[in-house]
Amino acid sequence: MKISYRWLKEFVETDLGPAEIKERLVHAGIEVASASPVVEGLSGVVVGEIEAIETDLGPTPAGHHNRLCRVALPDRKFSVICGAPNAAPGLRTAFAPPGATLPGGRAITATRIRGVVSEGMLCSEKELGIGEDASGILELPADAPVGADLSTYLGLDDTILEIEITPNRPDALSVVGVARELSALTGAPFRFPQAAVRDGEQAAAALAAVEITDPDLCPRYAARVITGLSVRPSPPWLAQRLRAVGLRPINNLVDVTNYVLWELGHPLHAFDHATLPGGRIVVRRARAGERMTTLDGRERALEPDMLMICDAERAVAVGGVMGGAATEVTPRTTTVLLEAACFTPGSIRRTSRALGLSTDASYRFERGADIEGLRAALDRAAQLMADLGGGTVARGVVDVYPAPRPHSRIALRLERVERLIGACPPRPEAVRILQALGFAVDDSAPALQVVVPSFRRDIAQEADLVEEIIRVWGYERIPLTLGAGAQALVKRPPQLGLAREMSRTLNAAGLSEVITYAFVDPDRLKAMGWAGEQGLIALQNPISRERSVLRPMLAPGLLEVLALNASRQLPDARVFEVGHVFSPQVESDGDRPAHEELWLGIALTGLRQPRAWHAGRERVDIYDVKGAATLVLAAAGISAFDVVAEPAGGLPGYLARACAAALSVGETGVGWFGEVTHETREAFDLPAPVFLAELSLTALCALPAVTPRYQPLPRFPSVQRDLALVVSADVTAGEIEAAIRAMDVPWLARLQVFDVYAGGQVGSGRRSLAWSLTFQAPDRTLTDAEVNDTHARIVKELTERFRGEVRGTT
Amino acid sequence: MAPDPRVQQIRDRALADIAAARSTADLEQIRIRVLGRSGELTARLRSLGAIPAAERPQVGQAANRAKAELEEQIQARLQALRVEERSRQREAGRVDLTLPGRVTPAGAVHPITRVQDEIIAIFEGLGFSVAEGPEVESDYYNFAALNFPDDHPARDMQDTFHLSPDTLLRTHTSPVQIRTMKAQPPPVRVICPGKVYRRDADITHSPMFHQVEGLAIDRNISMGDLRGTLDLFAREMFGSRSRIRFRPSFFPFTEPSAEVDVLCFLCGGGGCRVCKQDGWLEILGSGMVHPDVLRNVGYDPEEVMGWAFGMGVERVAMLKYGIDDIRLFFENDLRFLGQFAPLTLPPHPSLSPAGRGTRMRRR
Repeated sequence: MKISYRWLKEFVETDLGPAEIKERLVHAGIEVASASPVVEGLSGVVVGEIEAIETDLGPTPAGHHNRLCRVALPDRKFSVICGAPNAAPGLRTAFAPPGATLPGGRAITATRIRGVVSEGMLCSEKELGIGEDASGILELPADAPVGADLSTYLGLDDTILEIEITPNRPDALSVVGVARELSALTGAPFRFPQAAVRDGEQAAAALAAVEITDPDLCPRYAARVITGLSVRPSPPWLAQRLRAVGLRPINNLVDVTNYVLWELGHPLHAFDHATLPGGRIVVRRARAGERMTTLDGRERALEPDMLMICDAERAVAVGGVMGGAATEVTPRTTTVLLEAACFTPGSIRRTSRALGLSTDASYRFERGADIEGLRAALDRAAQLMADLGGGTVARGVVDVYPAPRPHSRIALRLERVERLIGACPPRPEAVRILQALGFAVDDSAPALQVVVPSFRRDIAQEADLVEEIIRVWGYERIPLTLGAGAQALVKRPPQLGLAREMSRTLNAAGLSEVITYAFVDPDRLKAMGWAGEQGLIALQNPISRERSVLRPMLAPGLLEVLALNASRQLPDARVFEVGHVFSPQVESDGDRPAHEELWLGIALTGLRQPRAWHAGRERVDIYDVKGAATLVLAAAGISAFDVVAEPAGGLPGYLARACAAALSVGETGVGWFGEVTHETREAFDLPAPVFLAELSLTALCALPAVTPRYQPLPRFPSVQRDLALVVSADVTAGEIEAAIRAMDVPWLARLQVFDVYAGGQVGSGRRSLAWSLTFQAPDRTLTDAEVNDTHARIVKELTERFRGEVRGTT
Repeated sequence: MAPDPRVQQIRDRALADIAAARSTADLEQIRIRVLGRSGELTARLRSLGAIPAAERPQVGQAANRAKAELEEQIQARLQALRVEERSRQREAGRVDLTLPGRVTPAGAVHPITRVQDEIIAIFEGLGFSVAEGPEVESDYYNFAALNFPDDHPARDMQDTFHLSPDTLLRTHTSPVQIRTMKAQPPPVRVICPGKVYRRDADITHSPMFHQVEGLAIDRNISMGDLRGTLDLFAREMFGSRSRIRFRPSFFPFTEPSAEVDVLCFLCGGGGCRVCKQDGWLEILGSGMVHPDVLRNVGYDPEEVMGWAFGMGVERVAMLKYGIDDIRLFFENDLRFLGQFAPLTLPPHPSLSPAGRGTRMRRR
């Protein structure tokens, strides 16, 4: 909201400049985004009168006629060329004589145009930097003092403070509200605007009647009638004030309602009395199917919970939001019914949202208007309207206020302030602050008895008063202490600890952590083979379709990361993410509205290692991703896990069937790994093979914790034997390993595949798997005979079982 | 008397050759020629039998002395030559020490994780436990229990993603306050990191971002303690010369409420581009827990009180690392992430600052 510094000073007697005021307000909780002059660089421009038009100098490029005008100032006359169509004898306007400067640093000098000398320039709103109108020169009233400085005359030597008010402080959404704050902050006297109404002969009650049928939505409605008005442009000072705070001047009557809104913070509405049969106002909820056209010319479908201002039959305004087109003030209006009412905030907010219509009025009403202050606003506006429109205010107010709202009383214990804040102002200062803010204070009991004014609807309990006192006294007075609270063990959730352990492991292995959006593209999910829409949680108001469902897995985000990097000439990526995935609530979720699991996803593509003089040029393959998954499991303390090619629960559709498997620990499925299908890669525009793994940290965390058990170190030497077994290519390493382990060979301490070879020497359809076996006894050195015998048994078992042959034993 | 001219002759020649030897290989040849299995001196010693018995002891002693002397000399010369040779090799540049060392570069810790962990560590040090809560929340936990009335403009402060009329993506980590307090009696000291969501997207707003919430509840705990704790935090996070400033503000769930600014660490308060000439940077919101919130979780506001704060991790990270576009965090460009790795990934050619390759320093 924009506030004029000069306007502010009408209500608070302070010598502080705009910059100091800004500083004070900011430290009391009123954000001031900027303090800037109304116009910058304007000087020497005065009110001048066009005495006569001397010569027509012919058409301008814009199609107007350049004319030589004689401009009079009290002591001198000037010949000035002007192309504005509205230049006319007798017009008083803005005149920049030689030596004046205009905004933007434009210095005015006498210039020669096509042989004719122009001694200065007549200016438009736009040239003066005070508005957008460039169609003609500024028109000033006939009584504008010729020769007067234009800045002073229009009040352009002013500063505009751009303030931001938090939603709890509707009372500060006005010049007077900010003035009251400033008065409390500085001790400078506060003056409330005078609004003495000169009542006319005619009684308002004879001209208007108000009935509230829904007082739950409109607790008070007051109206005055002003007669004998004529509609004309507002005087320059008023128009300029409105322009300076960002409002567009319309005419004297409408401008008055806006002016008073800005000054006192209470929204008002002026109806053309002639359009209201019998001057009758009914405040009621809309009827089913009712429609009306608002001031902005749009026809609105009304709903039964919206509060309407109506005449005897039809709705004429959306209460507290916007007036209607049929009853608005027009150039022919002579009598105005002026409304000052109070509406229920929640209702205004619902109506404003339902209609998609937010106005200066609805903004204030949904924050809470001052139910008592509306009379002052009504009186001030009525008198101002009569003054500016040459009319008369009808006698009395039609004021319907069925259930006057009591003022709340709150007890404030200063020792409570001390306990809550750690400091407290002296009692007289606390009292002064509250009184300056408009509270009535009874200081006779140990606890202050505070009466809350009607404009402070945000103050409901003691803590609210504590804040009032402290924010005015100064937050910088709050001490810096470290409380001596109870001691307790510092804990972190096991999932977080586990996640960090795994992240460190993967970082060390060269994988970078990524964080992707939790909302993903349902179309991409479909392309990834995600089965059906069920199980997806959709946002009701997504930013875009691409970010409209909560991710059911991490894969899409990871693939997006690879795609983005590939498109930026970074084809080699090894990344992981730890994050939640979402599915519909299950019973165990309790009061958590969705089922959330923490997962870790890994994605690899391109070169295995960054290019270096010592590094090869191998590309990642399935064993890289399996290795990374193994590291993650190891970080969770798990060394034994199963690779399940066809798990009962299936595998995600984005994994290629021939090159993917699930991972389980005992009976618990903990995730999967594999190569991404061609179709999925195409959907993400990924050129090279991609390998992915996803592991559920939630599942891993639920497994029993593993504490390492010490094994005595071997005291006798071990014997190592290698065995290269040539078998059919469809025999897996896992099967062979399982077969060896199933033999329960004594002394077999370690078993490892160390070479895999397929090619010429072993024949097609077959491959060689080389194993290293380590034998060791805990109590003695094994003899060659013992080892040879055992080894031979293993060879026999394997060759028979897998119809294999030994390629050579060392 | 010359004991044995032959031994003398072998010795003298050998000594001269040793001194003249230019390489360990030369020396080895000399050793073999003189002391080897069929070396000159060895042969002389073997032939002692042919010498008259009276001269034998004398010649034998002389030969053994010469042998010991030569072995010693060879050894000494060998040492010297080895040093010379190693230094020659180095001179010859056979080991190119400028080639990069053999490393597998570590991956990057995401800057958000990095900053979040830093924040957590500071508060863990101050005795705060970590608590977490769901990202999909009910209206109750996200708003109602935190004193946001229905149909109140305070709800506009946070533009919400809805999943149904009653469920939403949490707009702040504050619901974790409620869940924590409902689950345990006071005292409470927790810090709650996590993702939050608001329907907003530009260079300083992301629809998903991270917050860290802090909550302390006890019998006597004041706004002074809040200020002291945050001051300590700022010094730890932004450097010991850092200072904080409290400004009154409004949050429905705290009363009194304070916006907290930290002295701009770039300009030290004088005003610069980062702080928009203000000298201060807004980093978090805080305040004393509203009595209604305490009542909502079954605590008695006359008995216990406390404070809470919430800060945006992205905001802190952007300030700390000088990042000017929040979207970079979620694009995950590897060149961006690489700047937060212990050993940076090889930079993209176009981004590599000139002249940063390894250089040898020469004497």
